[in-house]
Amino acid sequence: MKELLPQMDKITSQYEQKKAALLPLLHLVQEKEGLISPESEKKIAEYLGIPVVHVHEVISFYHLFRQKPQGKCHFSVCQTTSCALRGGEEIIEHIQKRLGIKPGETTPDGKFSLGVVECLGACEIAPMMQCNKDYVGFLNKKKIDELIDKSAH
Amino acid sequence: MPKLTIDGKQIEVQAGTTIIQAADKLGINIPRYCYHPALPVAGNCRICMVEVEKQPKLQIACYTPVAEGMVVKTNSPRAIEAHKSVLEFLLVNHPVDCPVCDQAGECKLQDYYMEHGQYNSRLVDVKVKKEKKAFSIGPTVMLDQERCILCTRCVRFADNITKTSEFGVFDRGDHSQLDVYPGRQLDNNYSGNVVDICPVGALTDKDFRFKCRVWYLEPTRSVCPGCSMGCNITVEWDKSRPHQNKKARVMRLKPRLNPDVNNYWMCDVGRYNYPFIDENRVLFPQYKGEPVSWDQAIGTVVQTINAVKKSARLDRIGVLASAQLTNEDLFAVRKFFKDTLKVSQVDFKVSEKPGHNDDFLLKADRNPNTAGAQVILGQGADANEIIQKATQGELDLLYVFGHDLVKLCGKETVEQISQKVKLLVFEGSNVNDTCGFAHVILPGAVYAEKDGTFTNCQQRVQRILPAFPPLGEAKVDWEILSLISEKLGTPIKYKKSQDIFKDIAKTIDAFSEMSYEKIADQGMTAKK
Amino acid sequence: MQKILTRHFDQADSHRLATYLKDKGYEGARKALTQMTPVQIIEEIKKSYLRGLGGAGFATGMKWGFIPKDNPKPKYLVVNADEGEPGTFKDKYILEQDPHALLEGIIITCYTIGSHKAYVYIRGEYLRSIQRLQGAIDEAYKQGFLGKGIMGTTFDLDVVIHQGAGAYICGEETALLESLEGKKGFPRLKPPFPAVVGLFGCPTVINNVETLACVAPIILNGSEWFFKLGYGNQGGNRIFCVSGHVNKPGIYELSAGTTLREIIYEHAGGIRDGRKLKAVIPGGISAPILTEKEIDVKMDFDSLKTAGTMAGSGGIIVMDDSTCMVWAAMVAARFFGHESCGQCSPCREGSGWVYRNVHRIYGGHGRPVDLANLPGIIGNIGGNTICAFGDAVTMSVGSYVAKFRSEFEYHVQEKKCNVVLNLQGVAS
Repeated sequence: MKELLPQMDKITSQYEQKKAALLPLLHLVQEKEGLISPESEKKIAEYLGIPVVHVHEVISFYHLFRQKPQGKCHFSVCQTTSCALRGGEEIIEHIQKRLGIKPGETTPDGKFSLGVVECLGACEIAPMMQCNKDYVGFLNKKKIDELIDKSAH
Repeated sequence: MPKLTIDGKQIEVQAGTTIIQAADKLGINIPRYCYHPALPVAGNCRICMVEVEKQPKLQIACYTPVAEGMVVKTNSPRAIEAHKSVLEFLLVNHPVDCPVCDQAGECKLQDYYMEHGQYNSRLVDVKVKKEKKAFSIGPTVMLDQERCILCTRCVRFADNITKTSEFGVFDRGDHSQLDVYPGRQLDNNYSGNVVDICPVGALTDKDFRFKCRVWYLEPTRSVCPGCSMGCNITVEWDKSRPHQNKKARVMRLKPRLNPDVNNYWMCDVGRYNYPFIDENRVLFPQYKGEPVSWDQAIGTVVQTINAVKKSARLDRIGVLASAQLTNEDLFAVRKFFKDTLKVSQVDFKVSEKPGHNDDFLLKADRNPNTAGAQVILGQGADANEIIQKATQGELDLLYVFGHDLVKLCGKETVEQISQKVKLLVFEGSNVNDTCGFAHVILPGAVYAEKDGTFTNCQQRVQRILPAFPPLGEAKVDWEILSLISEKLGTPIKYKKSQDIFKDIAKTIDAFSEMSYEKIADQGMTAKK
Repeated sequence: MQKILTRHFDQADSHRLATYLKDKGYEGARKALTQMTPVQIIEEIKKSYLRGLGGAGFATGMKWGFIPKDNPKPKYLVVNADEGEPGTFKDKYILEQDPHALLEGIIITCYTIGSHKAYVYIRGEYLRSIQRLQGAIDEAYKQGFLGKGIMGTTFDLDVVIHQGAGAYICGEETALLESLEGKKGFPRLKPPFPAVVGLFGCPTVINNVETLACVAPIILNGSEWFFKLGYGNQGGNRIFCVSGHVNKPGIYELSAGTTLREIIYEHAGGIRDGRKLKAVIPGGISAPILTEKEIDVKMDFDSLKTAGTMAGSGGIIVMDDSTCMVWAAMVAARFFGHESCGQCSPCREGSGWVYRNVHRIYGGHGRPVDLANLPGIIGNIGGNTICAFGDAVTMSVGSYVAKFRSEFEYHVQEKKCNVVLNLQGVAS
């Protein structure tokens, strides 16, 4: 994490209270390392001067933070009302069948992982999901198959 | 100072007082889980909801400050419905562990359940399962995450009182789990307190696990003898079921509230140091390794004392008193040895290595009554000199109150003492290596068997009460001295501890104006 | 109808400063900073009847007025861009396509409340919104619209984006503050309210993105202009988000007084596949559901309140007659169960329990006593919690049971679903 220190300092300087920088620092570390390891947890806690248990609480509370690696291609599929009304449940089922994994799991080759989430604020393109950083909408089985086939390489 | 009415009763309190604090002053018990007087308010359990006139919504009593003219109803139909509903929600995922849970009988879920009687469960669904059940989180505490009602008292305790921050609540919603930080243990010196404050059986004491149902326990007010802090405690014991726990009487110690000494807390060193009350006791008088009657033992002591008196060499008597003794015991030592026998070689400062003190309650001086001993016995003699004289054969009688001289001076020295001194008397409650060398052993009582007082490091005189009579043939220390003095023909004439204390108050300036009534259950500071 | 909030959306590079400047960009801020006093600005906003468009509908001018003048502590403006209310996606468009409109509103607001620091809390998944807003912020700093002595005045202002991390509850203003301060999103006990004790213990105003995007137009065109565009006690337009079983899901900027019927049929293209309307959620998932008989209601805060529901976040979710309402209740209950922060007992245990109950009834394993108990269990959550999330569970899930009880009864008695074509919107 030493290489991140200049960035961490910059981020922290934007907050009147040092410990308010916790969420942005966690994002920073996760962006770089793909997850937040127990070592990073402790280093961030030390850096901010807060008990490490409270850093761990924050990581476990917010669903975007992870301590296990995701697949190279991670699907966060929405299951809330607007998407559900437009076939979201079938999309989730289809992805599970295609990839052979359940929500929360990663394919053995590490290429794909699936998460089922609540509303992502894109109901106008329902049924939709977030694929890594991008919102992908108007999903159907064909689109899912195409996406999986494309990303499998 | 605002005046308000709670359930028809009026009270005037300081501004800033919350409704629950005002109600507690009135003796009105609003149900509560997350609220604890010594911890910052969390307001998350929601069971303390009360009806406040002119407020449309129910308010939580732990957080709402009182106002002039406020009218509060803690048991109106609306308030009771709210209490019931919170209780129902807490029971939804709570495992029905009562038959195997140590908290049974002192569990706030059980207590409020009995009071509010939502007796018919409406739950049909599966309860939420959590990861850790019967899981050790440290040397003293067991965690059961499913029993936890997430009141966060333990988290707030670790953050604010011990400032060690072991606990956290992880995840969210009804999957929230209380735990210690992964890989960390709850191993600070105050870990036992989290068991006290946990309102349910989520955090339980390993030491007490499956030991005794709490409804068998009798409580006796006392003071911890572990160090000079004198934390107020309750000795909890049971004599009705000797077939359990190898006839032990004391099952556990609990801290007792004293805002001026230990507040709600006690340290683990004191809390778990009670087995000596029942284990390894000196149970009967002995002479040269053989059990004898009290008469015989006392007779032997008196014989030696008479011989010394005859030779008029009172400098051949040495007394190693102890700061473990009560003020009453110590005053009897003074009255008998110093005043009656005119023995000057009496000292209590037998140099045991001091422990460490932490920055909270535990003090380096591991004696409960050093302050009392200082005032009652004074500086006077030097214990090391007395021991030295004993090794050189310059003493006829060495009277040792419970000390382990072998630990202090080594086996050879004590062996020498036992050869050189005509009579080595050991008066103590627990067996130690010195007993093997003592000529006369007199079984003494432990603090839990005594009625008396200790003076703590703040010069606070505090009362201890006897939970039960001394074990075996043991007697209270001042009683033993009383018997010896009687046999000698110069009785110090005390019938009960209170008589001795009255004498102390008359004789010693620091104790003047004190009485057991005034000391009551919170103690009284001695005069300078 | 005059467009305010969406007026730039069709322009190429609408998010860039150069585009924004072409249409009186930052002139409202300049006017406020150089020609108006904070007192005057608050008056204008009050007279405009601008209401909080995040969901609570609180009078914005009044909220700004709560900031104590004599308090020596620094003041903060926190922009709530957490947009988590299911059915809502309007702030995303403002952030991505007209971020300078938000910035201009921030400048005026900060000047009014005496704040020199604004934090924009954007939900963690809105990556393009964060990117676009940061770009706008960078442009604004370069242009001297942010930083030290902005626009040639002595007023300093810094704006910082704070990325959320996936928790709906952080849309609740005090939970948002907790999250900003680096903690779990646990709503705070109130009072004190944020206007007195907010971010870092200082007086704080929390406003929604859309609300702030209205501020500069109000300053430029006047409160009366804005007020007249609206209806009743709510001035201006708002961006309605329409989703679900309509032909044209999307955002629609319309007067606050537009009826629900008009929005669904005249703007969003009516019900898809020629089906019939069955039910509508008018203001995000927390809003009690309306039946097809209740859609002539005007969509302003007060009218919807009178109708027993709420305007909320303007997220309109439309359900046609292929929808099983027990299923819809289950989806809503599942959402609440997942998003409960878990701090207080009734919501923590109750949200999950309600979901399991409804799930069981939907699956055909409900007994009559379960349905008899359900309204009571749902009703015990709201009113007893630390924040309005508990109230939302009660109002929202309770409304399905109340208004579509026959479907629940059918599921209990017949142990199956009576919505014959229970297609659940098979993906086309």
